[in-house]
Amino acid sequence: MLPEPSRGRRRCVSVLLLLASLALLLTPVAPVSAASATSASTPSRPVVRVGTEGTYPPFSYIDPKTGDLTGFDIEVIRAVAQKAGWDLTFTKGAFDSLFPALDAGRVDVLADQISINPDRSAHYLFTTPYTYSHGVIVTAADNHDITTLADLKGRTAAQSQTSNWTQVAKDAGADVKYVDGLDQAAALLAQGRVDATVNDNIAVLDYLASSGSKKIKIAGNAGNEVSKQAFAFRKSDVKLRDQANQALAALTKDGTLARISQKYFRSNVTVPNSGNVKVKGSDTGRSSWQVVKDTAWPMLRAMVKGTIPLTIVSFICGLVIALAVALARLSSYRLLTVPSRAYVSIIRGTPLLVQLFIVFYGLPELGVDLPSFVAACLALSLNVGGYAAEIIRAAVLAVPRGQFEAATTIGMDYGQTMRRIVLPQAARIAVPPLSNTLLSLVKDTSLASVVLVLELFREAQVAAAVSTRTMALYCLAALYYWVVCYVISVGQHALERRLGRYTT
Amino acid sequence: MTQDSTTSSVPTSLVEVAGLEKSFGDQQVLRGIDLTVERGTATALLGPSGSGKTTVLRSLNVLETPDRGCVRIGDAAVDFSALSRDKGERRRAVKALRARSGMVFQAHNLFPHMTVLGNLIEGPTQVQGRTRDEAVADARALLEQVGLTGREDAYPAQLSGGQQQRVGIARALALKPEVLLLDEPTSALDPELVGEVLAVIRDLAAQGWTLLIVTHEVRFARDVADQVLFLDGGVIAERGGPEVLSDPRQERTRRFLARMLEAG
Repeated sequence: MLPEPSRGRRRCVSVLLLLASLALLLTPVAPVSAASATSASTPSRPVVRVGTEGTYPPFSYIDPKTGDLTGFDIEVIRAVAQKAGWDLTFTKGAFDSLFPALDAGRVDVLADQISINPDRSAHYLFTTPYTYSHGVIVTAADNHDITTLADLKGRTAAQSQTSNWTQVAKDAGADVKYVDGLDQAAALLAQGRVDATVNDNIAVLDYLASSGSKKIKIAGNAGNEVSKQAFAFRKSDVKLRDQANQALAALTKDGTLARISQKYFRSNVTVPNSGNVKVKGSDTGRSSWQVVKDTAWPMLRAMVKGTIPLTIVSFICGLVIALAVALARLSSYRLLTVPSRAYVSIIRGTPLLVQLFIVFYGLPELGVDLPSFVAACLALSLNVGGYAAEIIRAAVLAVPRGQFEAATTIGMDYGQTMRRIVLPQAARIAVPPLSNTLLSLVKDTSLASVVLVLELFREAQVAAAVSTRTMALYCLAALYYWVVCYVISVGQHALERRLGRYTT
Repeated sequence: MTQDSTTSSVPTSLVEVAGLEKSFGDQQVLRGIDLTVERGTATALLGPSGSGKTTVLRSLNVLETPDRGCVRIGDAAVDFSALSRDKGERRRAVKALRARSGMVFQAHNLFPHMTVLGNLIEGPTQVQGRTRDEAVADARALLEQVGLTGREDAYPAQLSGGQQQRVGIARALALKPEVLLLDEPTSALDPELVGEVLAVIRDLAAQGWTLLIVTHEVRFARDVADQVLFLDGGVIAERGGPEVLSDPRQERTRRFLARMLEAG
């Protein structure tokens, strides 16, 4: 309770407005007119944004030798672009974020072995298929109980949430556990944590060749149906899809598609009945140590360009929001207290992951289309704001009432009292808990990969997908996070000493 | 640093309180207080705990907002029975009234994150808009007056209780108030530190500062006060010169004093 609530209210409001506008200024404004193929009115070379996993060898993966995105699907879409006269940009994300990204207009086409099925056909425009394959059931090597889809009934299967193969497994009566990709599913199989996974035969063959794993095997075919994979566009992009179809037809005719397929599979998977597929494996023969050495630099780069800026911007914006919200909660205006309480309640009562999805995939429906990095910053800032607001509020309340009274009797108004007397003392109280918030934030940035920000952990996942050296790579990622957090805690101690210099 | 008015206006009392009433919840702590304080005099407010003496003091700078009654200090007056409905006007009136008094708290309430000098110049520079150099010069003079020369750069936590309270007095004086309000300035101190603070207050009285002191120090009040007000149950039960303390007319004053002198 402040000594005299009516005092300095107008000032209080203006301070809040100032802080709020500051928060808006600090939030990087999105370029509204992001170059999009749909909006490109000029006939000359539209920029088409391609969504792909980058963790699905041999279709879409990072070449461990060059660090570049490559794979069968990547080469095909590049060939299509060349014929159709497009420029391409690539956005990598987990499989389950690909369709939301397409819906939200983040990307224009998916090139990631997207299987055609009736559900998807109802919502998206498919090109003519460029891959014919069939599904296989994968189990642990010592499992002899599962050979057909019928055997999956009542067993657990590890699948990507939105994958076509997930539906196949579900229809067979399997109890589906959700994972990010084939490499994770394979790890769970080898560890005996799930019974099976259903996936594309080519992807599985590549995994077996790359990992050299003797712990899992192809147990049988997932039905007799041929699975057809094609590029997926939004319903509205008929023109782009038609251009792609023309290009695919031309590439089939001039033998380009067959040549790309031979390179990867030693057979032509771009036509039905391709015969036996042989894969050499996207990555073989590297030791764990070599994998770690090859990945250390890309991960460091992802940390410096993704994790750290994301942390700094989100923390600063979050603190500004938190201060405004804390003061609003402490005010005697219902007009300020009610919304600020609601804000804190919503932020603390919903998962950060959901907040990220709402900001990145939900807001575009309302016409607010933020780039990945900005969306991640916004969601993380709002999240930090909710938690830090309570810390700041508690710290202000912990400043003795006599301090407010002394400031009042020397004639200070609300703004001066806060700025010169209360907040400097509250800062000292708030530093340890705010440091906790910052440390949590560093680690929470790993969630930003769901909104297609390439940060440290995603880089580790990308590397793990190709090399299958899961343990080594995730330990390396943990080490990077730990170093950042250690530096922060050193800073915290220095700051505490500085702010506490007046206590004896 | 005399407070004598050089203007030709008719010399009236400096502080005037009329019909002050205040309740906390359903408990009425002030039941109609009237008092006047002449310029350049020291007034002691005594009474048992819960008698309302601190509330009277805190009403003078509106740390408590009275329910009814009128407070005037110098040319600034606020009638709490008829507060303006306009917030800005009300705020200006309260601000003007506050500017005429300085407050010394029982628990000193120094700003712990500022040095002694910082505490003293905070009001003059931030509120009164005086230059830093001027404020620092005044602050040094005040520190000399309260016997703390050389402790400018100390933080409050590095001082003894008596020193802290003397800084508290200097901070209040730095704003050049017309009246100094002291709320039990020695009650929170160890007994051996009480003397140094009382000596400073005695000096101020001798220099002609107008003082209003809530205290339990009966002997000190008798020595220093020009006027003694004895509160009981939210009213002024007895008032007069310091002789009241030697020869109270009211029985309850007598009993209270006997208890205090026994304890002291």
